[in-house]
Amino acid sequence: MPPASLKLSVRLGNAATNIVDIQGEVTAAAESALMDAYTQASANGIRNILLNFTKLEYMNSSGIGLLVTLLIRVNRQKQKLWACGLSEHYRQIFELTRLNEAIGIFVTEADALAKAT
Amino acid sequence: MDPQWTTLKEFSLPSERGNERQAMTQVADAVKELGLPAARLEKLKTAVAEATMNALEHGNKFHADVPVLIKVLTSPDAVAVQITDHGGEQNIPEAETPDLEAKLAGMQTPRGWGLFLIKNLVDEMNVTSDEKHHTVELILKRTEVNHGE
Repeated sequence: MPPASLKLSVRLGNAATNIVDIQGEVTAAAESALMDAYTQASANGIRNILLNFTKLEYMNSSGIGLLVTLLIRVNRQKQKLWACGLSEHYRQIFELTRLNEAIGIFVTEADALAKAT
Repeated sequence: MDPQWTTLKEFSLPSERGNERQAMTQVADAVKELGLPAARLEKLKTAVAEATMNALEHGNKFHADVPVLIKVLTSPDAVAVQITDHGGEQNIPEAETPDLEAKLAGMQTPRGWGLFLIKNLVDEMNVTSDEKHHTVELILKRTEVNHGE
């Protein structure tokens, strides 16, 4: 059960990509919900997982740690992790942590889907 | 501290999981009148949240009856936030500098980003301890010096 402050949903992006919409707070409490969403998004041998952060309200260092854990799982499955909709502040956090070098970052979902094929 | 510093707000929070959000909100409210650039304010908020999380968890061990004390000060060119917990008797281990490659290779825990974020988001971080208390002071210039915002 995800915390009340987090809502995750999975939908199809394109033939090779599933999108995880993230709404609310990504903290340590998000772990099981995020990993469950990843499992759901990975069904049918999908190659790309796109995290849509447009409705992200707050992410702390534990949330960053969860993204690293997710990235490890994605790499093991030889998938690719993408992100879109990050605010300027969280884009900067991704740069500081160098997550932007391991996750493909795009401003819009359409930009990401055009690349994630 | 320099006499140019004046206190904007002092408050305390019970050491309960998630209260770093309250700290962030109250500090943002305290500095509202200063009109910090939006990007600077976001940096301060995140640094305050991370330092408060450390105080709640590592300093006060989530004992709800042990408060975290937060003091917000301003000078003509900077903002300071002092976050004090009751973990002064503990030795603070030197934090490992997080390295993404090492984390992805399983050589470091995926976690451990908090102190790194704090140090990189504010202009100065000072740590003081006595036998009872542990205080982290975050200092942020009110305007960007080098990069412009």
